[in-house]
This record gives sequence, structure tokens and C-alpha cells, in this order.
Amino acid sequence: MKNRSRKLSEKFEFGLFTLPVLICVAVAFYIPFVLTVRYSLTKWNGISKNPEFIGFDNFKQIFTGDANFSAASWFTVKYAILYIILVNVIAIVLAVILDSKLKSKSFLRAAFFIPYILSLVIVGFIWKFIFMQGFESLGNSTGWAFFGKSWLGEPGLAFISVLFVSIWQSVGFYLVIYIAGLQSIPDDMKEAAVMDGAGPFRRFFSITLPLLAPSITISVFMALTNSIKVFDVILSLTGGGPGGTTYSVAYDIYRDTFQNNLYGYGTAKALVLFVAVLIITVVQLTIFKRREVES
Amino acid sequence: MRSNPVLRVIGEIVLILIALLFLYPLFLMIINSFKSFQEVMTDVIALPKSWSFANYEYVWKYIDYPRLFLNNFVVTVLGLAGIILVSSIAAYKLSRTKSRASAIIYFLCIMPMLIPFQSIMLTVMKTASFLHLSDSTWGLGLLYWGFGAPLAVFIYHGFVKGIPREIDESATIDGASGFRLFFSVIFPLLKSVTTTIIIIDVMWIWNDFLLPLLMVNGSPSTKTLTLAAYTFVGQYTSDWQYAMTAMVLAVLPSIIVFIFLQKYIVKGVVAGAVKG
Repeated sequence: MKNRSRKLSEKFEFGLFTLPVLICVAVAFYIPFVLTVRYSLTKWNGISKNPEFIGFDNFKQIFTGDANFSAASWFTVKYAILYIILVNVIAIVLAVILDSKLKSKSFLRAAFFIPYILSLVIVGFIWKFIFMQGFESLGNSTGWAFFGKSWLGEPGLAFISVLFVSIWQSVGFYLVIYIAGLQSIPDDMKEAAVMDGAGPFRRFFSITLPLLAPSITISVFMALTNSIKVFDVILSLTGGGPGGTTYSVAYDIYRDTFQNNLYGYGTAKALVLFVAVLIITVVQLTIFKRREVES
Repeated sequence: MRSNPVLRVIGEIVLILIALLFLYPLFLMIINSFKSFQEVMTDVIALPKSWSFANYEYVWKYIDYPRLFLNNFVVTVLGLAGIILVSSIAAYKLSRTKSRASAIIYFLCIMPMLIPFQSIMLTVMKTASFLHLSDSTWGLGLLYWGFGAPLAVFIYHGFVKGIPREIDESATIDGASGFRLFFSVIFPLLKSVTTTIIIIDVMWIWNDFLLPLLMVNGSPSTKTLTLAAYTFVGQYTSDWQYAMTAMVLAVLPSIIVFIFLQKYIVKGVVAGAVKG
């Protein structure tokens, strides 16, 4: 009898501790997710009372006759690959330099980290100002043709600008992860390599880089998850332009849902994005798991 | 390399110059916020003729800065308090209970980390308006409880595992149980992870854009800082001096906090990334 009432009160307590989080997560994710699945099978402009059920027509349309979506997907893939490579390479190089004995180390680290604490939308606006107004003045005073180019007005250049501004904003984040990774490499290992007569490049590729693997795993993972969802910075920097060439998948979903009022179609695209993210994450986690087991 | 001190000093100077160049856009933002419209148009890189606060007076009043600041503060504090409370108690219980239900609930809590916000943004709006959370600063703060929970539960869950069960048991013998046991004995032990979670979540909620855009963009009185800066720039597309003033006002709090808490912020961000 006593035992049973204790069990009951344990169960009650378990519920009391876990129910709040379940409600919160359900409101933020599960209910909206179920609704997304439901709306994705409908045609709906948000105004009419009842969404019209049309089965998988939205998905057929997305994969067969949507030039915007394929352009946005291609943009996102290109962007993600270049972003992941560049931001990590730059961050590793900077981290290796900053890890040596410098007097201004903490100033330098802080300087590179500052953009990361700013909102991406605002970063986009600041750079829009620099590209549109600042470059003109810089061009006048230096005479360099580089500043005269239309960095937001030509498709190829606008892509580079979006990529560049994203890297500028976030490189400090990857930098501090790599610095932490480098600090966990024991000094005697580096010293032993110096004793053995290994030059700086040899040391970097055969000692530092392999031991940095856990940091690289984390950083690549973060860079990938962030870059496939890229949105804010494009919204304020180029607004998707010029000629709609810098729309990412997330921005394309936003455009269809909130600017074109295609609620059903937009949510169907949103679901496609979810499945893509899910597959990429699962593949990535399995690869990394296997690598960790091997090493 | 290590033998030549002159080269090292030169290298360090070059690095400092690179870092200053890296921050040059922020410097341009600040100096142009003090200029008049004509000055911005004629030369962006020149220093302002006089350091006048006229732009600041205008923008401060126009966007009602104190109000925005208060809104941001309420959203961030409310969101954060809820995330910490709801996630820590759940993660503690889930980590201590070995049962199928516990494993399933844990999975349900962390699984949403895989759902991109853009995949559910429309239906989040619908759900929020059904629950009367739309168009209110408090409603926005409450919504963050759910959005912040997955990562927080994940981080807390891993950390609680490392706290010996004997601590719970001895506290039970002393007569503490339930919430009292948690808040007087366990929660203080979670201080270091709680700091990590506070740092990553403050940076996220304070700067967040899309959720506020969808939730509280209807009225000027509920806007957040980033959101107001965004709308403001949309209205003043060619008045760059005002736009830059709004940008400075929007980013200033973050930069000031960063300068003072730099060490903790960097540490917290690294810890969050490594554990997450």
C-alpha cells in the first residue's frame, strides 16, 4: 500500500517536472508542424475560410514547374558549399596566427568576434550602405576600379557580396571555436615536433590539423545548418535582387507565403526544406559518428 | 620566425591593421550617424564637420527608443527565465528517470532542433494567434520558451548525468523533495551550464528578427529594436544619416555589454557550441 502510493507520487512528480516543457515544445513546434503538413496539401490564399484540398499537387508543382524554387535551391547549395569552406579555412588560419604569442591577442580576438554579436539584418544594412555609398567615396579617394563595380547590382557580384558579408559577420564565432581547439593541444606535442625538425607547414598539416578534427566537426556542422537556412542577411542586403538572383530557399518560402499569399504552396515548400535539412543532418551525424568510432 | 623580434613586431602591427580594417564598416556607420544628409552624400569616409547629436535626437524620438529598449528587455528576460525554468526541471527529471516514457519525452524535447524555423513560420503564427499570443511583447516572450527548450534540455540533460545521485539521496533523507530538492540542491550545481545557456539565448533572442517580424510587427508599441530598425530603414531608404543613427542605436547595447563581459561571452559561446 505504502509502496503503491509512493510510486504514484513519483509518477505525479515526473509529470509535474516534464509537462511544462512538453506544452512549450508542442506549441512552438509540434502543433505548427502538423498544421504545416496539413496546409501543404491544400490550395489556400489565407483569406478564404476553408483551404481547398488538392493532394500532392503543390509538391508536383515544386519539383516540375517552379523556376524560382530551383534557382533558389541552386543559390543555396552554391552559397552553403562556398560558405562552409571559406569560413572554416579563414577561421583556422586566423586561429593558428592568433594562438602564437602575441601581445594584442585578446584585442584581436575581440575585434574579429564583434560582428557576431550583431543582428544579421542590421549587418546587412550596414554593408548595403558601405557598398552603395561608402564604395563610391573610397573609389574617389583611391581611384581603384574595384570600388567602382556594382557590388549589389550585378548577379555574380551580388552573390559574392552576400557570401562575403555572411563570412564577415560569423568568422569570429568559428575563430573562437578553433582557438579553443588549439589550446587543448598539449604543448609538448608541438615542442616535440619542433625538436624533430618539422617546419611550420609540416607541423601544421601533420600535428595541428589532425588534432583539430573535433573542432572542425563542430564548425562544419554549425556552418552547414546555418547556411542552408540563410535568410536575414539577404533580406536586408540585396532584398533578393538583382533580378531575383539572390533568393535563398528560406527567402523563397518567405516570398511565396507572405508576399504572394500562397499559403498552401508556401507551406509545401517549407516541408521540402524540412526534409532536406533532416536528410543532410542525419547523413552528417552518421558520418561523424563513424569517424569518431574509427579514431 | 621565433628568432627575429623585429619581424614579429611587424607581423603583429600588420595583424592589428587587418583587424582595424575588419571593423572599418562599423567605424563608418558611427561617423556617418553624426553627419548631415549633404555630408553623407558628398563624402562617406570623411569625419563629420561637427559632432552633432541632431540625428540622434530625431531618431530617438521618432522610433521611441526607450519603449523599444523596454520591449526587447521584457521579451529577452521573460523568454530566458522560462527557458531556464522549464528546461532545467524537465532535463533533471528526464536524466534521473530510467524508463521508456522518459526516453520518449527526451526525444520529443530535442528532436525539434532539426526543424528549421522557416518550415513552420506560417503555422507558428496561426497557432500563436489562436492562443492569443500575437501582437504582444509578453506573448512573444512566452513563445521563446518552446523555441529555446530543445537546446537547453539537451545541454542540461548531459550535465545532470555528471552529478552523482548520492546528492539527491542525501537531500531526500534530510527531508527535501520535489521542487525544493531541485531548487535548493541541484539548481545551484547547474550554475556553469546555466550561464552558458543564458549567454547563447540572450544573443539569440535580443537580436532575433524573423519571429518578432511575424509576431509583433503590427503596432509600433510592441516592436523590438532590430525590427524597428528594419522598418525605419525601409522608410528612410535614401536618408542614410538617419538609417545609420538607427543602426548605431540598435547595436550599441550589444557592443557595450560585449566590451564588459567579453571573456564570459566568448567562453559561453564556445561551451555552447561544443556541447550543442
